Amino acid sequence: MLVLSRKQGESVVIGNDILVTVLEVRGDQIRLGIDAPRSITVHRQEVYLQVARENSAAIASSDRGSPLLRRPVPQAVAKPDPEP
Amino acid sequence: MGAERAVTTGVSGTDPNEIPEDKVILFDEGIPGLPDCRRFVILDLAPDSAFQVLQSVDTPGVSMIITVPWLFFPDYAPELSDLEQASLGIARSEDVALFCSVVLTPEDKDTVFVNLMGPFVVNPNTRRGCQFVLAGSGYPLRAPVKLPKVPP
Repeated sequence: MLVLSRKQGESVVIGNDILVTVLEVRGDQIRLGIDAPRSITVHRQEVYLQVARENSAAIASSDRGSPLLRRPVPQAVAKPDPEP
Repeated sequence: MGAERAVTTGVSGTDPNEIPEDKVILFDEGIPGLPDCRRFVILDLAPDSAFQVLQSVDTPGVSMIITVPWLFFPDYAPELSDLEQASLGIARSEDVALFCSVVLTPEDKDTVFVNLMGPFVVNPNTRRGCQFVLAGSGYPLRAPVKLPKVPP
């Protein structure tokens, strides 16, 4: 991991088109501003990891999923029969 | 299809080499946890089914069951930020295909869990997609769906 120290108001450039700025330091909270091309997603790490793990779980459990694929659309949201 | 189906081609049993290129969806950055899996296809394996398969074209063993969340959560209203919409070139929120992954648990065959926090969104015109992480939305990672018991 590359380690740099920044003060409030200072920035880090990543690659040629990602800018991370320390906007505000208040107590133990640091406010970061991120400028990146819109194709690059930015997430809090803990949330990203949650979704990554859930994807792994979905992939792993899909092996047992064949019976599920035959389940029809739930009755409650099926198109209402126009016949009275 | 033989017993090796689950290992080599995922739950769908489909050979990725037989998938037409115009059905491929491209996730530029892959998906969280799988940055190298970029090309996917959606397989409809049973008519009128509530569930489909999101199959990786790059890695045949990677596939997951997906569903259109509104089938079970009619009030689901994920909000995509302007930045998120722009990343996929979405002009209007109606112009997207959206689906969520489904997790099964061994303990309960009649309950599945839908990932409402991390929907997959695809621009059907460009065939580019992204899995968005709706962290502040309050939508759960595992929204339970109790399915009616299937007669044996």
